[in-house]
Amino acid sequence: MIDLYAITDDPTPPLPDVAGLSAVASHGLAIVCAPVASEGGELTPEVLWRHEEVVEALMEDRDLLPVRFGTRVEDETAAARALGERHRELARALDRVRGAVELSVRVMGDGPESPPPAEGASGAGYLRAKVRSAAAHEEVVRMVHDPLTANARASTQLGTTAPAELLRGAYLVERGRVNAFVDHVSRLQAAHPELRLLCTGPWPPYSFTES
Amino acid sequence: MRDKFLHAPPDLDPFATERPRLDDALSRRVNADPERLERGLAQLVLTVVELLRQLMERQALRRIDGGGLSEEEVERLGRTFMELDKRMEQLRTEFGLDAEDLNLNLGPLGNLL
Repeated sequence: MIDLYAITDDPTPPLPDVAGLSAVASHGLAIVCAPVASEGGELTPEVLWRHEEVVEALMEDRDLLPVRFGTRVEDETAAARALGERHRELARALDRVRGAVELSVRVMGDGPESPPPAEGASGAGYLRAKVRSAAAHEEVVRMVHDPLTANARASTQLGTTAPAELLRGAYLVERGRVNAFVDHVSRLQAAHPELRLLCTGPWPPYSFTES
Repeated sequence: MRDKFLHAPPDLDPFATERPRLDDALSRRVNADPERLERGLAQLVLTVVELLRQLMERQALRRIDGGGLSEEEVERLGRTFMELDKRMEQLRTEFGLDAEDLNLNLGPLGNLL
């Protein structure tokens, strides 16, 4: 079995010397793969990070579509077949992310999370709290997400995971404009001290592989 | 991971709440013993219920916005949703699920909730 890491252009620059990588080409695309390193082994965050490191090493000097972690096929022939079957769609997807990387921005509200309604709280109060939290989300979209979207080639909102989290956005940013984007995040932070902004990246364009 | 921070507030603790969940998410994907299977089924059913609950709640908020409801009706609606919310939380706890577990990734359509 082989693990799949990323889809990129063919020909592709020399592969980094990690994990025994090789490239299988078909229809002007190449899929980067390697023999399965941990068959039956334990799935840990470390294993996930190692996969991520390989994709990031590849990303340094080429455009790519990251393959979902844990995708494996029988052998290189099967990998080439998978590439051939979807090559038009994949080539279009690769064009969409060409020359860009993904940046992530998460926004937390300041102060404690809104407390759950107390025992015996009023029904109207409960609904009013709901209205307030929906309004807070819209406000952050207007103040943070919209201006950042204007500085990106594409953007998407991901589901928030904590009650105090107001926004979780992914932005597809030209490689040459990453610094300008981060400066913009810093300016937004300065303008809104009541919010906490966390910007991470550059990541492979995980959120922009599909149309 | 630190070298991935391009802009970070001085206090990162509030962002760290999901760290332990990574292990959980990984183990949930690869193991399929009977106990987990039951949990998976409960997860699916509760996801559908949660979707309906949220849709109804949004509908109620729109009606209140529209101003067509009396104080008493608003209070009654609010109580109903509060009870539903509480009940969902109990069910989630019973099956060891987080709010985040009751969501489905619909690919290009984004998340269900």
